Amino acid sequence: MDESLPLPTIMPLGDRALLIRFGTTLTDGANRAAIALARRLEAAVPVGVEEIDPNLISVLLRYDPAKIEPQRLAGEVRLMASAAADGREFEARRHTIKVRFGGEDGPDLDAVAAMLGLTVGDFLEAHNVRPLRVLTTGFAPGFVYCGFHPPALVLPRRSEVRGRVPPGTILFAAGQTAITSTPIPTGWHVIGRTDFSNFDATAMPPTRLREGDDVQFAEAGA
Amino acid sequence: MSGALRILRAGPLATIQDRGRPGMLRYGIGASGAMVKGAFAAAGGLLERRGSAGIEFTTTGLDFAVDCDLQAGFCGGAFRLTVNGEARNWDAAHRLEAGAVVRIAPGGWGNYGYLRLDREIATTPLLGSRSTNSVVGLGGFEGRALLAGDRLPLGEAGEEAGTECAAPAAPDDRPVRVLWGLHADLFPSVLRSRFVSTPFEISKRLDRMGVRLDNGGVFPQDRILSLVSDAVVAGDIQILGDGTPIVLMRDHQPTGGYPRIATIITADLDRFAQMRPGTFVRFEPVTLDRALAAGKGAL
Repeated sequence: MDESLPLPTIMPLGDRALLIRFGTTLTDGANRAAIALARRLEAAVPVGVEEIDPNLISVLLRYDPAKIEPQRLAGEVRLMASAAADGREFEARRHTIKVRFGGEDGPDLDAVAAMLGLTVGDFLEAHNVRPLRVLTTGFAPGFVYCGFHPPALVLPRRSEVRGRVPPGTILFAAGQTAITSTPIPTGWHVIGRTDFSNFDATAMPPTRLREGDDVQFAEAGA
Repeated sequence: MSGALRILRAGPLATIQDRGRPGMLRYGIGASGAMVKGAFAAAGGLLERRGSAGIEFTTTGLDFAVDCDLQAGFCGGAFRLTVNGEARNWDAAHRLEAGAVVRIAPGGWGNYGYLRLDREIATTPLLGSRSTNSVVGLGGFEGRALLAGDRLPLGEAGEEAGTECAAPAAPDDRPVRVLWGLHADLFPSVLRSRFVSTPFEISKRLDRMGVRLDNGGVFPQDRILSLVSDAVVAGDIQILGDGTPIVLMRDHQPTGGYPRIATIITADLDRFAQMRPGTFVRFEPVTLDRALAAGKGAL
């Protein structure tokens, strides 16, 4: 992307953070812009910024008001977003995640395929046909959202929330596939399980997947 | 230095806390840390030396024994304190001798009190902090709230304490100041007006994650908004689908998908955290400039 990012909306979130948002709906462009802006900010951290937190369509900047006025910081961020990129949009590492789909590991797989009008085999082929992008890490430690699937693979969440699912659970909903890293309750469809662990509290950084990375899902043993 | 502190009685949600682990949101981890930062700092400021972590306890208090001579600072809310059965002052530092039994009993006000020591609590720091995130089960003592029978190892001497800071006063009737929140524009103006004009009762459902307020009939129950999950900060006031407002506190999830109408300013978050169930809170919107001026020097 040899061009500037879309123009963001910058607003205070409390008196110690700014939220820089690229729209209000989850689109590929908004997510790419949030990741790209976070990378630009990391490469040249503005004075007074204490934390850079990329989200699905935004970047949260926590700042120390004793070191920078929020209005000035917002101006610097706007300038950074409007600057032309030099070559690649952002670096993306590639990960292959082996998954045991279906059965006890993925009790919703059959229903998911049926709701989409596909056989399980066709669903898995479509699901794993190409790498997805890590959209962000959020909600819980090491929990990653990966996307986007094409419209033919979009399903809403379940109407009921399931009790805690174990770490490594592969979730599917809203055109995305997510990976849990801690036990959490979920309203997403549970389609599989991986031995890949994305969270280690004794390591720094504590996660292996990073927003912007490519994730290739594959059937374990295949 | 060494020794140990043995928990004899722990109320619900007594946890090891420190200044928290900020900077981990991008990994999906909230900062945690003391619920009442000013009181936590003041407890440390009472000491000649202070370990970086302390124990946060809730209204029912905490009983413990120490097996070495040490100095301890007590602050936050109002509790009744005895050492070996003798009454001692709250908001004060006391020398404890090996074998001392300390009882912290419920007192006049506040949801949280703090115990700081002249040395470290020698649990393993995780991601730069000893704070307990009891929602995730991370840090502190085995990732959980303290229980009677727990034996906390004590470690090296803490650093020399800096300036003493005043113990925070009891919450009063002043409104709690807020900035309009991330989704304030999604609420009709009549709801925003009622949010400002209505006193909300603090419910009994409060913990380190959040404080539920009584709806007071302000927010309708049929509001269904589909929002992109986005970053959360402590003090955010989100409205659940059934109309219940929740103020998100130190163990909040890093992101949330419910609409947030306002955010409590840094300068008023400690005071709000100490408001007990049954009391009423009123919210007053202020400008960012006023919030920043009020927050000068706040932690």
